[in-house]
Amino acid sequence: MATRDSLIQVTDLKKHYHMGAIKALDGVTVDINRGDVMVVIGPSGSGKSTFLRSLNLLEEPTGGAIVFDGVDITRKKYKDQSGKMVKLDIDALRQKMGMVFQHFNLFPHKTILENMTLAPVKVKGMGRADAEKKALALLDRVGLQDRASAYPIQLSGGQKQRVAIVRALAMEPEVMLFDEPTSALDPEMVGEVLDVMKELAKEGMTMVVVTHEMGFAREVGNRVLFMADGMLLEQGSPKEIFENPKSPRLQDFLAKVL
Amino acid sequence: MDQFVQLDNFSKIAPYAQLFKQGMLVTILLSLFTVVIGFCIALVLALMRMSNIRPFRSLGLDENGHLRERGFLALVSRFNPLSFLATAYVEILRSTPVLVQIFIVYYGVFSLIKLPSFQMFGFIKFDRFFPGVVALGMNSGAYLCEIIRAGIQSIDGGQTEAARSLGLSQTQNLRYIILPQALKNILPAIANEFVVIIKESAITYTIGVQDIMSAVNAVKGATFVIVEPLLVATAVYFCLCFPTSKIIAYFERRMSHGDKR
Ligand SMILES: Nc1ncnc2c1ncn2[C@@H]1O[C@H](COP(=O)(O)OP(=O)(O)O)[C@@H](O)[C@H]1O
Ligand SMILES: [Mg+2]
Repeated sequence: MATRDSLIQVTDLKKHYHMGAIKALDGVTVDINRGDVMVVIGPSGSGKSTFLRSLNLLEEPTGGAIVFDGVDITRKKYKDQSGKMVKLDIDALRQKMGMVFQHFNLFPHKTILENMTLAPVKVKGMGRADAEKKALALLDRVGLQDRASAYPIQLSGGQKQRVAIVRALAMEPEVMLFDEPTSALDPEMVGEVLDVMKELAKEGMTMVVVTHEMGFAREVGNRVLFMADGMLLEQGSPKEIFENPKSPRLQDFLAKVL
Repeated sequence: MDQFVQLDNFSKIAPYAQLFKQGMLVTILLSLFTVVIGFCIALVLALMRMSNIRPFRSLGLDENGHLRERGFLALVSRFNPLSFLATAYVEILRSTPVLVQIFIVYYGVFSLIKLPSFQMFGFIKFDRFFPGVVALGMNSGAYLCEIIRAGIQSIDGGQTEAARSLGLSQTQNLRYIILPQALKNILPAIANEFVVIIKESAITYTIGVQDIMSAVNAVKGATFVIVEPLLVATAVYFCLCFPTSKIIAYFERRMSHGDKR
């Protein structure tokens, strides 16, 4: 059910492979509200990535609905306000959802600044000078303004991920999706990336974060989802999930990771 | 006793040195044009093969607008005619002799299309040269297509995901992210194809292109010596191909150093 602050309503979301032999997502229902920092935890293979990637349609769901800004984005066509059938504009939709990947996925043939200005210029039609000014301001926020003309290969993992985050922010998304943003980092670099994410959360950015950093989930998250076998087994506040887990699967999982 | 190579035969063919020079120029021009045309054909073919244009796509949607998972309609909805055509082209050209292809282009296609019969540089017969370039270009397009496709597929899928998640369209992703990286990776392979074409272009003398092999033929007809002109041709081909592949290998090494920075 859509409340006033609700941003994304996911209903009975399914993603099946091989005619249903593999159920990566098997009926997930959840509401994401504006300002939520929703942390998704669960064992490997439980469908966390598939869930996240379905939200911006990097995966095409095979069932259920994702209503974002009032439109069910799992349908290729929908009725607009005037009742006309229109085609879903996936590119326009994705601009509103920033995504940060485990392996950074910076563009290696472009400088840091070019990485950050490409989409604002080519997709949003922003002027190059404006885009660069904005990119430099964002880089400054994460302490990397002096690396603007470097290539990704010259950066450390933590620096790359900070760039990836501000690259997504340059598009001014309504929600940021993080898929294990610190899993590929050396331990000493995890903190610098989590700090940027904390800042972002403080500013009120809506975030969905898949992570194994239970400290982050507890400290920054306002809601925690526990997934297993493509299903949402349990959800609640960090306090409820970590201090009073109900399902045996969650108790088991927490015993292993904490 | 007859010797395999007779020195005085070289003096017999010496007056025809000009023919070999012209033949070399033709071979180089032919190969350059071929690789450029081949590359353009290959890029189009590769994009067609990897395209995602499915005209019957809407048949694959159920009444709720979701993708059907199975059934005849799901199959039809995935049919991509561009990809089908490109694949057929590549497989047919790779599975038939280049000599047959050249004859079909020269005696078939260009007997219907009349070409102007002027001479480039005062000696290259355009109505022979052009069909030769077209036939070789079409053939190497099929091979280069697979090279380009492999180059594109070697780019990490995360690149496309990052680009699309930023809102770039499929075309923008190709143009700004994938192709620049892929082409840099396959540049050595394209240059190698150039060397292959230099050697393969010898076959165009069968339709009267005045390349190195046709120089051999002309000298043979005029002087009745055959081995020595062939040795000259061997030397010319070697001098064209060997340094070129060495230069390519050098740049390949330098580029891979750059990557490990
Ligand atoms: N392309 C695919 N084909 C078949 N199975 C897949 C594919 N992608 C993911 N899966 C399966 O879906 C399940 C969920 O994967 P994923 O969402 O990546 O889990 P998580 O991110 O929680 O580790 C896994 O069992 C995985 O093997
Ligand atoms: Mg995952």
